[in-house]
Amino acid sequence: MSTSAPVDVLFVLFAAGAIATAYLVFRTDSMVRAAYWLLASFVGVGAILVLLKAEFVGLVLMLMMAGEMTIMAFVMVMFMMNPAGLNPMLMVHQHKTAIAAGVTSFLVLAGAALLTDFPNAPATQTSRATEELGTELLGESMLVFETAGAALLGTMVGAVAVASRRGRYGDAEEGSIEPPLQPDEEWAQASAHRTEEDEHEPSVHGGHS
Amino acid sequence: MRPYLSPPLAVITMIGVLIAGSYAVAVLEEIAGTLVSRRPLRLTYVFWAPLATAALLLTQGRTSTERPDAQAWALAPALLAGLAAVGLAVIPIDQNTSVADPAAGFVLYSAAISYVMVAVYLHGWSANSTLPLIGAYRFIAQAFAFQIPFLLVLLAPALPAESLAISDIVEAQESLWNVVRQPLGLPIFLVVSAAATFSLPLDFPDAADLAGGTSSEVSASHRLAWRGARAGLLVMVAAMGASAFLGGWQGPWLPGWLWVILKTLLLLVILIASSHTFARLRIERFVVLAWVVLLPLSLVNIFFAGALLL
Repeated sequence: MSTSAPVDVLFVLFAAGAIATAYLVFRTDSMVRAAYWLLASFVGVGAILVLLKAEFVGLVLMLMMAGEMTIMAFVMVMFMMNPAGLNPMLMVHQHKTAIAAGVTSFLVLAGAALLTDFPNAPATQTSRATEELGTELLGESMLVFETAGAALLGTMVGAVAVASRRGRYGDAEEGSIEPPLQPDEEWAQASAHRTEEDEHEPSVHGGHS
Repeated sequence: MRPYLSPPLAVITMIGVLIAGSYAVAVLEEIAGTLVSRRPLRLTYVFWAPLATAALLLTQGRTSTERPDAQAWALAPALLAGLAAVGLAVIPIDQNTSVADPAAGFVLYSAAISYVMVAVYLHGWSANSTLPLIGAYRFIAQAFAFQIPFLLVLLAPALPAESLAISDIVEAQESLWNVVRQPLGLPIFLVVSAAATFSLPLDFPDAADLAGGTSSEVSASHRLAWRGARAGLLVMVAAMGASAFLGGWQGPWLPGWLWVILKTLLLLVILIASSHTFARLRIERFVVLAWVVLLPLSLVNIFFAGALLL
């Protein structure tokens, strides 16, 4: 398999960059920095895919990861009690288990990479990867991809409906109404019941209606 | 494979386009500001004012905050300017002239648009200060709201071209420009462009109600770089609008590259004029508008673009 020298140099640069930035994910003490180091690592992998003439897949990987890593940073900041993600925090836990899992998965993947007999089919300069991918997605594998697509779309619509400000449990700004404790109890009654309780023991519930 | 500019020439072209484009945006801003405030328009002032501002910013002292994330803070304007360069690179300059025109040019451009979110978020988050941080989190909400309509409305012109390469999209408009073929396209594109470049009336991360938002803590060369990168971003979306909806290099009498420049300037004038005339929305209103109105409209646009081809 013959490649040109600049492509080889670029491959080494991007591969080294992807590994170095992936390592930095665990060396930083900031959730936002960890997310964006991981993004840098994915950009390196995407660039390698572009070098392999899988232009479309490589660019889509970069495109998707920008949004995904931002969501990851954003959601981590929301769930960790860490104001705005600015406080330093330890990013590595359970050292022994983590080291064992890391070494094992590295050995398994490296073994698979070395022992597999990969087909030698170099991509030509004029290969039309985007077109071939489109034919695959809307031809042979259409049923699989369309089913997965419809399922994902349904999930997203459901998630938006549940999370929306004007959701099925009322307007988010008015606060949510708790479900009743008894199956035949009505919603509004349950809510009134709780309010009464709160008035008796404000220190336990600490809420307000 | 289409003819590319030679690498040194391509780099010089990109630097020239970014500098000239940012200057053009600054001059247009100056003209729009003068006209809106009904001051007399003096052309020498209008053309010198951006240079004077740039010189002032370069001679200012740099301020800093308490323990900022200095690396990410310095990276943000450079990343934004780089994204403007990447996006501009895929747009053909003339019929057979382009810096880079890959088969998946549309995807590369979309990727550049989605990394704007990373640049703006890092710019606000790294400052370690309240108002920039609020601006950064605002832009996440804004970016997720505008990105899907942005991609869908740019995907529609790719349907008649049957290609994701921008030059094929321009060539497919030889008989009829997409602004006529897809009447919903350009209006939606202009609204989401204002959001993507976070310029008024949709400048939520850098808004005046946050005292400048993500850029409220930056001064001197950093502020100049950020403003230049934002102007470059505006040129990047205007140039894409010109190629995707207004037929790019196509037009009578004049050479193709001049048509590209004129159409880009036309869209820049529309964007900057609307940023000086429309009132700024609240971000809540914009996010609802994007998800509830712009997203379905851009789906309708794609549906009609596809139906026309059947």
